[in-house]
Amino acid sequence: MTTDKSCIMFVTKNLRVSFVIFIVGLISFLIADLSISTVDTTLLVQEFFFSITKLSFSNYSILFEAFLNTISIAIISIFISSIIGFFLALFFSNMLVRISLSFTRAIHELFWALIFLQIFGLNTLTAILAIIIPYSAILAKVYAEILEEHDTFPEVLRGKSKISYFIFTKIPDAFPHLVSYTLYRFECALRSTAILGFVGITTLGYYLSSSFMQGYYHEVWMILILFYIVVASVKWWFNKYTFIPLTIVSFFYLDDFSGFNWDNLVRFVTSDIVPHPIRNDLGLDKTITWFDNIFSNEIVPGVFNTIILTQLSLFLTAILALVLFPFVSDKFFTKPTRLTSHVFLVILRSTPEYILAYVFLQLFGPSMLPAALALMLHNGSIIGHLMGNESNLLTLREDITKKRNEKYFYEVLPRVYNQFLAFLFYRWEIIMRESAILGILGVATLGFFIDSAIADFRLDKMFLLLLVTAFLNIIVDLISKKAREYLRTNDSFSSCGCSLK
Amino acid sequence: MAFNLQEETISYGDFKVLSDFNLSIKKGEKVALLGKSGSGKSTLLKHLYDLQKENSTYIPQELGLVNNLSVFHNVYISKLDENSLFTNLRNLILPSKQYKTEILKVLKEVELEDKLQSTIINLSGGQKQRCAISRAIFDRKSILLADEPISALDEYLSDKILKLLTHKFETSICALHNVDLAIKNFDRVIGLKNGKVLVDKACVDLTDDDRQKLYYVCD
Repeated sequence: MTTDKSCIMFVTKNLRVSFVIFIVGLISFLIADLSISTVDTTLLVQEFFFSITKLSFSNYSILFEAFLNTISIAIISIFISSIIGFFLALFFSNMLVRISLSFTRAIHELFWALIFLQIFGLNTLTAILAIIIPYSAILAKVYAEILEEHDTFPEVLRGKSKISYFIFTKIPDAFPHLVSYTLYRFECALRSTAILGFVGITTLGYYLSSSFMQGYYHEVWMILILFYIVVASVKWWFNKYTFIPLTIVSFFYLDDFSGFNWDNLVRFVTSDIVPHPIRNDLGLDKTITWFDNIFSNEIVPGVFNTIILTQLSLFLTAILALVLFPFVSDKFFTKPTRLTSHVFLVILRSTPEYILAYVFLQLFGPSMLPAALALMLHNGSIIGHLMGNESNLLTLREDITKKRNEKYFYEVLPRVYNQFLAFLFYRWEIIMRESAILGILGVATLGFFIDSAIADFRLDKMFLLLLVTAFLNIIVDLISKKAREYLRTNDSFSSCGCSLK
Repeated sequence: MAFNLQEETISYGDFKVLSDFNLSIKKGEKVALLGKSGSGKSTLLKHLYDLQKENSTYIPQELGLVNNLSVFHNVYISKLDENSLFTNLRNLILPSKQYKTEILKVLKEVELEDKLQSTIINLSGGQKQRCAISRAIFDRKSILLADEPISALDEYLSDKILKLLTHKFETSICALHNVDLAIKNFDRVIGLKNGKVLVDKACVDLTDDDRQKLYYVCD
């Protein structure tokens, strides 16, 4: 009889993993500073939400220009990224290429913008480079996966002419997937370009933050709503037919790509980012002191806070997704409810985390609360949406329970749970990258220290902190990969769940 | 009377699977439905289930097990409607001793007692089938509607399970492929071909000609 062996054998791998996420999340929750520091929070929130009724903008031509700027920068960037990405994908099997790409990917586009601001100044070139560099790396990785996945031609039949065989055997199958993934990535590029405005480039974020600071909440809403419309309508105006014409038009619209300065670039690489005790030859002792200071005062607290915010947000994301997904699932609700919830989820996930965090920061004051809320809402709605889709694909037995709660816990959740964990692990790295960047808004994560290093013009310190940030991301990526292997959920998502990467 | 179909037409989408169909099954009857795939057995069973949802338990061909849950949970699922949400959640997280003992008893009858705590993913096809059968038995309804419940079992187990299914339910209706097992274990056999009844007789009255017809419909 096995009855008395207690319940230990019921503990499955995914329960064990969930338990770890839960406990770490709980500890992070207890440690994290989640205080509200604005004095008139309720009033502020009320005022902000009521101003949605008075949509207007002081100068419509500026608004129009901001949108055109954002869209054309995104188009040019995705165009160039897709070319570079494809080229790099061909060499993805090379270890060196793979490592350097994972490094490039691990640094957020806002950090890249901050770097190029130091070298080339505030201009279109900086904006485009800031998007191209991480996006080429992301596209290279996914392109390489797609090319590998759609390779059904037997190796032995492949002849000498490598290029011909590549074109004949790989490209035809993979091409539609490459195109659809690139088009999906454009939506992300739009969001990324919009938030570049927060560091001063004249895209949407710039006008959004200046309207916010002046208290013109109706203008904030105006920008947000127009942005939702642009994002929601992407598939109608940006597709395989319009891609090339739009790229050409954007190129002529942006017109001025000058600002490239070779001397600055050389100085940046060979001098600015070299630790100053080494640069000025102050000896080993001074170098160690320099590093030690940064390590104990910035790296340790920065890494610690980044991890706390990441784990807290991951935990909150998981909970929100589990609560939200029945609302978009045909197993639980009828069409009207599903449709309403769907619109709600689309709005949440098309708002960049950074903008959400910025809004919450203005409303609640600086602490981890705004960042955690923003990450939870954005990522929770993405995973909730994907799980809703998964659950719609399920066919349940005829004679299952009619009770909704029981159906959730016994029939639906167990069936989508592995997928859920896989989604969560895919978003983990992204949450970590965002946690670091949200430091710019004042939470003491790595981004905070990077931002202050730039403000003090200590680029050597900035560079060191960026390396640490990238390292942290790569470690999380590796753990996530291991965890997915452990759970055996390592299916390829590149063709279906694009929004995960 | 458990079922009484008069001149009924049953369609699957736009396709008429059974047209002008007559069938009556009395309470307490043990009926085997024989026929090739596509002959209309599954459609008929599903239709019968729709007519008697409250009193019957249904084993679909694809079994409808929850892959990520253990055998215990999959059998317990048939009790969800009877118990409170609290009890159900409690048994999801920490199975109660009482249910474990009860379910173990059912599993013993289908020789699956060593798999109580195994996750469905780790079971073989035949073990999965026996798990779904245990769920149906544990449901304790009066009518069983099973769609090829023994297709993945060996001869010994097939025989044992069919005996069990005909004993545990007042009325049982099973779709099968195997003519001999059907005649051995059931009181009445119905041979279906292209949505039409070719044979419908009590097993004791079967002539050699009828048997030939049954082998023909299952061919």
